Amino acid sequence: MSRSPRWSLLALFATSAILFAACGGATSPSPSAASPSASGPAPSSGEPFDGAVYPENGESACGTEGYSGQMGLIKATAANTVEFTLCAPDAAFLSKVAFTTLGIQDADYLTETGGGGDLIREPVGTGPYKLDHWTDGQEIVLATNEDYWGDPPKTPNAVIRWSAEAAQRLVELQSGNVDGIDNVGADDFPTVEGDTSLQLKPRVALNIFYIGFNNTAAPFDKEEVRQAIAMGINRQEIVDTFYPPGSVVATHFTPCEIPGGCEGEDWYEFDAATAKQMLTDAGFDFSKTYPLSLRDVVRGYLPEPVTVATAIQAQLKTNLGINVSIDVRDENTYLNEASRGELKGIHLLGWGADYPDVTNFLDVHFGLGSTDQFGTKWDDITGPLKEGAETADQAAREAAYAKANDAIRQHVPMIPVAHGGSGLAFKADVEGAHSSPLGNEALFAMKAGDRDQIVWMQNGEPGGLYCPDETDGESLRVCEQIVEPLYSYEIGGTAPIPQLATGCEANDDSTVWTCTLRDGVTFHNGATLDANDVVATFAVQWDAEHPLHVGKPESGLFDYWTFLFAGFLNPPPPAA
Amino acid sequence: MLDAQEAMQLGATPQTRSSGLWRDTLGSLLRQRNAVVGLAIVVFLLLVALFADVLAVHGPDDVMLGVEPGVKKRDDPCIHLLGCPAETPEHWFGTDGNVRDVFSRVVHGARVSLQIGVLTVGMAIIVGTIIGAIAGYVGGFIDDLLMRLMDVLLAFPALLLAIAILTVLGRGLINAQLAIAIVAIPIYARVMRASVLSVRELDYVTASRALGESGAGILVRRILPNALTPLVVAGTLGIAGAVLDVAALSFVGIGAQPPLAEWGSMIGAERNQVFTAPHLIIFPGLAITLTVLGFNLLGDGLRDALDPRLNR
Amino acid sequence: MIRFIIRRVVVSIPVLLGILFLVFALARLLPGDPCVGALGERATPEKCALYNAQHGLDRPIPEQFAVYLGEIARGDLGTSIEEGKPIGDLLIERLPQTVELAFYALLFALVVGIPLGILSAAKRNSIVDVGTMMLANLGVSTPIFVLGLLLAFLFAIVLNHTPLALPPSGRLSPGAEAMPLVEAWGLEGLGGPPRAIIDFLSNIYTLNAILRFDWKLLGDTVRHMILPAITLGTIPLAIVARMTRSSLLDVLGQDYIRTARAKGLKERLVIVRHGVRNAMLPVVTIIGLQFGGLLSGAILTETIFRLGGVGSRVFEAVNGRDYAVIQGFTVVVAIGFLIVNLVVDVSYSYLDPRVRLR
Repeated sequence: MSRSPRWSLLALFATSAILFAACGGATSPSPSAASPSASGPAPSSGEPFDGAVYPENGESACGTEGYSGQMGLIKATAANTVEFTLCAPDAAFLSKVAFTTLGIQDADYLTETGGGGDLIREPVGTGPYKLDHWTDGQEIVLATNEDYWGDPPKTPNAVIRWSAEAAQRLVELQSGNVDGIDNVGADDFPTVEGDTSLQLKPRVALNIFYIGFNNTAAPFDKEEVRQAIAMGINRQEIVDTFYPPGSVVATHFTPCEIPGGCEGEDWYEFDAATAKQMLTDAGFDFSKTYPLSLRDVVRGYLPEPVTVATAIQAQLKTNLGINVSIDVRDENTYLNEASRGELKGIHLLGWGADYPDVTNFLDVHFGLGSTDQFGTKWDDITGPLKEGAETADQAAREAAYAKANDAIRQHVPMIPVAHGGSGLAFKADVEGAHSSPLGNEALFAMKAGDRDQIVWMQNGEPGGLYCPDETDGESLRVCEQIVEPLYSYEIGGTAPIPQLATGCEANDDSTVWTCTLRDGVTFHNGATLDANDVVATFAVQWDAEHPLHVGKPESGLFDYWTFLFAGFLNPPPPAA
Repeated sequence: MLDAQEAMQLGATPQTRSSGLWRDTLGSLLRQRNAVVGLAIVVFLLLVALFADVLAVHGPDDVMLGVEPGVKKRDDPCIHLLGCPAETPEHWFGTDGNVRDVFSRVVHGARVSLQIGVLTVGMAIIVGTIIGAIAGYVGGFIDDLLMRLMDVLLAFPALLLAIAILTVLGRGLINAQLAIAIVAIPIYARVMRASVLSVRELDYVTASRALGESGAGILVRRILPNALTPLVVAGTLGIAGAVLDVAALSFVGIGAQPPLAEWGSMIGAERNQVFTAPHLIIFPGLAITLTVLGFNLLGDGLRDALDPRLNR
Repeated sequence: MIRFIIRRVVVSIPVLLGILFLVFALARLLPGDPCVGALGERATPEKCALYNAQHGLDRPIPEQFAVYLGEIARGDLGTSIEEGKPIGDLLIERLPQTVELAFYALLFALVVGIPLGILSAAKRNSIVDVGTMMLANLGVSTPIFVLGLLLAFLFAIVLNHTPLALPPSGRLSPGAEAMPLVEAWGLEGLGGPPRAIIDFLSNIYTLNAILRFDWKLLGDTVRHMILPAITLGTIPLAIVARMTRSSLLDVLGQDYIRTARAKGLKERLVIVRHGVRNAMLPVVTIIGLQFGGLLSGAILTETIFRLGGVGSRVFEAVNGRDYAVIQGFTVVVAIGFLIVNLVVDVSYSYLDPRVRLR
């Protein structure tokens, strides 16, 4: 980066002016026009550092009108220091900034691409691998980043392929075309274990598969009906029949591996007779047929969607006399239908951990900020959840989550069925093969024998590689090889460890976090990492009216920002 | 496989060879090896469909789990007579991913697929003949318009157009049948139109017109009987096509929905398991092939028997 | 001749308009706001309003159709909901794969089907004939998805670790890359339609490999195409074999053949020199009619063999509700189909002048 800050500043002004004009003249004044101290990019070493701050007026966003987020202020206090001010204490801050969507982007590249466009398919990061090429519908090829600050990748190239079919992935592995595959089919675990040329890497089940209800529509608006169905499903049989080894029947919504996840009473025992009686007492209409909605998408928590749905359909009929028709919804719209509360019958869905904290499970689904998926919220669930999120004291949190879980057990917004274990398989000669409970396996840490490329086959093609605007694990895993956040999760684990930051220090009440950046880090395009890149990376995601808050065409949702920090700055009006 | 070209030939019969006289249909049908095989297959399928409840050991949707000891999902076929150990529960075609008896599902699938074939072709024939009759009888601008419309439908690859129609109608077996029926309309319209044209100017038709019979009356009483032969041939071949196409839509997941025992959706549901449990693909696959083969052979045989001019 | 071509083109115009109108109508019949069909369910009301204004969707239907025709004429097929890519670009990436697959499938059908048909006709009613025709009947009756899955099972699993093993999926071996022609020829600066055409040709890997003399790539491509080509080519093969047989039998019954035989020509020579050449005419027509079936079949074949062509993209679009892609592809494929049939008609009339008089 050789341009002087002044020129870049002008360029940024010009760009944002053009963008605003192109947007048909936004009514609110541009934030960058309001403040003279704009987010200029990094100076070359030696020049005084012009640190960016966001919001650009330097005032914390906390408590401002219409703002419900947790992020208050982000400030580059020096070329290698960034300070985050939060609106409330956040014990999970490091886990959050380690998340892939917060991988640091080059501020200039963000500007160049206008926050979208080439950014989607030609990512620029600081990671051990850089994108070589992406052949649409075929494969993505990554090459070694020669200027990487840390250890170079163990294998010079990585090839990512995909197939939705578990059997096909296994065949590709067995025939030697690929070095590693994701999600071994439930029936194939013995095959892989019995094959000495392969190695199996089971993945801990940090996920939940559940049967959901919406409490706003009959007959599932009756608590007794939901409780009865909760008792009438033989969850053990489902797990035994359809889930791979390592899966467990869920006692709670949150997996027990997560601290404080399994507080409160265990889920109901299977008792079809009592359940049937309860339904009859509640005046349930057995003559009707109700929809059982699902999407046909394989996830770690649901290895065989339609098959499991068919089994649940059969159980509802046999155990309880309830008729349901299987309703396979379109996969892209299903999540929207769910979050808008439009699935009025019974629906099947699941959740996989982004970061290992109870809030990532309970708050996302049942907290005050959660969607309308389950209908009207219950105060005796939202209350304890709020308590738990705002305290850093583990004992107090556990007490709060026990209350919340017991209330969930009583109201049955959903039936937690299984924490689905899954497994990865690799050729035996792949050194450093591992699985990650978060699903972000590090290909750069694996050595594929003496070959110069490691071929990895996952479930699907990434939607894009600008991950702030992606949500599915297939994209995030690839981003993980290319971009790096301030922290990252230890390889094969969940503990956040410093990555682009050498460390982040909290103040006494964990509301202000100061992160120091690693020196001598360059992006794949040759730009040098500095604190302004960090501010820009966060700001474009945070502020819904930021000129670079663009992302994929017709998406631009930046879902994960709201999951991580509860809300956007200048949030868009709710969709009609 | 009946395509547009053959459809035109069926109706207009611009053939050069003429071998032999009009023979007794059944007799000549039975004299043809292919047709006999086809007829036998179709009769066999009809019997299977009729007596599905008797033939199938279990209900098509019955889950064996907890009913039979030792049963597992996707068990290999087990026939005790062929040496399968007696303690293993007997399933001729094995069990599927939901621990259901595949044999029973394949048998019940015959009922589903025959219904699909007949209903789909029935819908297409009714609409197609009406369009073809109007076009052929009225002629002129209306004829041009309707036939260009049919050309438009024929200009699309059938499955692609059916998929496009299904995006509007929404997924489901009934809608899939509708879509396939729409795509098949031009075949019958062309057959009907060609028949109408070929008899319209014949003496007995002109005569009834002179006697003051109404247009509709002439169509129904004089022309339709003549068009029956090519329609029956086209319809029989059409059933084969319809079974195949609806199965393809179900395989893709937008036709029959679970748990219905439809062969295409059975294969679609288990296609992941082709390498580990190929019996789940092979048996429903054979059933589709057999059905399509039966109707194709019968259709070819009928064509040869009913219209010797087409005999090749 | 010219007049015949002009007449055929003129007759095609209403059909073309009909195709466009049908696809246009399907788009309008989608449940909900038409902009939802184009932008996906996540479209905000503002984005919708903007889109509707841009594409004239706030105007009366005839006017909307006019706008749509204008867009098609300019080559604007809309934008994929899922990827946010112009559908024209998607076609440049995806269609070559399908073209390549269809080419190999057709090649398989002709290279195997015609000799089989000739053999059948030459040895009429022999075991060979009956067997061939029975196989042909089986061929047209076996669903593509069953055949494909079983072939993959046979060649990838049963025959694994034998010389006959074939890859069950993909277009190239992992990591293998077909260097874009623009790169190989140093034409990166090129833009516009020439660039699009070169990119399109470049994505037909067989062509790419031949043009760059990359025999390793050629071998890899062919190896990956064998199973899909057999899968997709079986139905055309059966049809071609049947057509060749019946057409040849027709010809062999003609007077001039009898004359040739009477002259004492060997039967083999009679068939090859006089019979086959004249029997090929109807076969040419049949080939033209196979394109629709090939494209329908490509949807299933590409899905099973994980080939990134138009067909597998349609399959993805069905599951992802990407109406824009389905409609854009449908239009292009239907127009392509129309053109192919036009070319077949014209070449047929060139081969057989009698047709022109009809």
